[in-house]
Amino acid sequence: MDKREFFLISNSTDLLNELKSIFPDATWSIFERGAEAIEYFFNSPPSLLLIDSELKDISSAYLVELFKSENVYRQVPVILILSKENLSSFDLNHLEIDDFFLKPIDKAEVSSRINLSLNRAARALDANPLTKLPGNTSIIKKIQSLIDQKKEFALAYVDLDHFKSFNDKYGFSRGDEVLMMTARIIVNTIRAFGSKDSFVGHVGGDDFVFILPPDKVEQACQMIIQSFDSIVPNFYDPEDRERECIVSTDRQGQVRTFPLMAISIAVVFNYGQLHHYGEAAQIAMNLKKIAKKNPKSSYVLDKRKSAQ
Amino acid sequence: MQDLRLESKKKVLAIKDLPTLPQVLAEVSKLLEDPTVSTEKVAQVISKDQVLSAKVLKMVNSPIYGFPRRISTIQHALVLLGFNVIKGLIISTSVFDIMNQSMIGLWEHSLGCALASSTIAKKVKLKDPEEYAVAGLLHDLGKVIALVQLPELKAEVEELVKKEDIPYYVAEKKVMGFGHDRINAWLADYWHLPLRLREGLAWHHQVQSAQHYPEMAAVVHLADFITRLFEVGFAGDDNVSKLDARAFKILKLTPNLFEEILDELVDNFLELSDFKPED
Repeated sequence: MDKREFFLISNSTDLLNELKSIFPDATWSIFERGAEAIEYFFNSPPSLLLIDSELKDISSAYLVELFKSENVYRQVPVILILSKENLSSFDLNHLEIDDFFLKPIDKAEVSSRINLSLNRAARALDANPLTKLPGNTSIIKKIQSLIDQKKEFALAYVDLDHFKSFNDKYGFSRGDEVLMMTARIIVNTIRAFGSKDSFVGHVGGDDFVFILPPDKVEQACQMIIQSFDSIVPNFYDPEDRERECIVSTDRQGQVRTFPLMAISIAVVFNYGQLHHYGEAAQIAMNLKKIAKKNPKSSYVLDKRKSAQ
Repeated sequence: MQDLRLESKKKVLAIKDLPTLPQVLAEVSKLLEDPTVSTEKVAQVISKDQVLSAKVLKMVNSPIYGFPRRISTIQHALVLLGFNVIKGLIISTSVFDIMNQSMIGLWEHSLGCALASSTIAKKVKLKDPEEYAVAGLLHDLGKVIALVQLPELKAEVEELVKKEDIPYYVAEKKVMGFGHDRINAWLADYWHLPLRLREGLAWHHQVQSAQHYPEMAAVVHLADFITRLFEVGFAGDDNVSKLDARAFKILKLTPNLFEEILDELVDNFLELSDFKPED
């Protein structure tokens, strides 16, 4: 479990004691005055910020606004603790809280709500903003947990060839279309295998990963390549699609041609020999260089698998 | 007339559900029970029903997926939507009781036109003949929409066709001020369908107006003509449509090649009759 540092801004020690009894393992800090909390939470933001709506010195709404208007703190869930009577005095269309609960508190409900807020924040933070697929933190966590459990798996690193030249000619939003399409192909192909431990993540840009059982991975690579190669021409303008390459002028004024985008996949296997996700990533990067030598879509499987 | 047109357009675009062949729905549901079924197989069955095909393309081209106007074949749509979404689509598709004889005729005509379109595209060596099949399949979708959303006008159109013995789309224009080709264009825009398909759907009665993909309009125009010539299905009137010579020019189609196409289609249409929607 990640470290849990919870801040409570409230005058009520009873409230603190109740909350402490719900999450005894968390590190609790209490601030009686809102003003004194500000410097603390800016310097070392907590993993959860609970604000009592009835503060003596400043308005709780102001505190929320102050905290949430800074992009670097936005991922920290902020929960407002209200009484039923003052619920209607808060404009939730504008107040950027993540949740609220009512006093007197119901321990079971508050416990679930706080857990939900923490998990939701973690998901939202890690998800790739474009594809909404799990990002790096989730990817590493997933790989490491499979390694720790000594599970056999195949880990595939996927990226696109000539994506940059496509982006340069057509612009970012057209590039995003291609990434969305690629994500859909990978997700649907992997899901079709229906394996319990399968996984798809988006590292960023044109880099994706997926995990499948070792005996399924080669077929998945073939299916992804086949789908990608047949669909990607739709994303070019008619002339480029017709001549099956793009023609653009570089900064030196030279006319250059680039082939249509292709997809490269490097697959690493774990039969219990891996100890750390970094090893897998390292092997995959080396394999990728081999896959990239082929201008067409291709996949490379880690040869060492047979030696195991 | 302008008011009627705007009013009708609103009604057309407000379409919630469309009639689908119950047999096709059942067949797709059955295929999807097998988790290892191939997308090719499912695509093949969905391609027998223009409404289900249109729904699939509408969904995959919707902005939520992030690549509007890019996908024009059922096979690609299935790869990108995944079976999960298709299952949901099948569950939410209702079977109408308005599937009367003339509707079934329209389904057959559409299927015939899809087949003719891909045959022509292959013969004149166009790339991606599958896309031409989709345009052929969907070319009369506007008629289905009109039937569901504008039933009063539809009855008037049918009466006029009988009384004056004129082509269906001419009668549509007389009664409504616009034809099913116009409805097709509205839908193609509203559903973010690829421009290539839009040109086939909107200009199959007016080949010269297709600015971007004239060969698409020409292929569907020709396919519509041939399907009527062979009396495959029923498109709303008994006329063989007027053949526009420009279509031949656009496709660089020689009389010899045209004859080859007709010969091939005689056999293909026969095979098609294996699939009778009313079975």
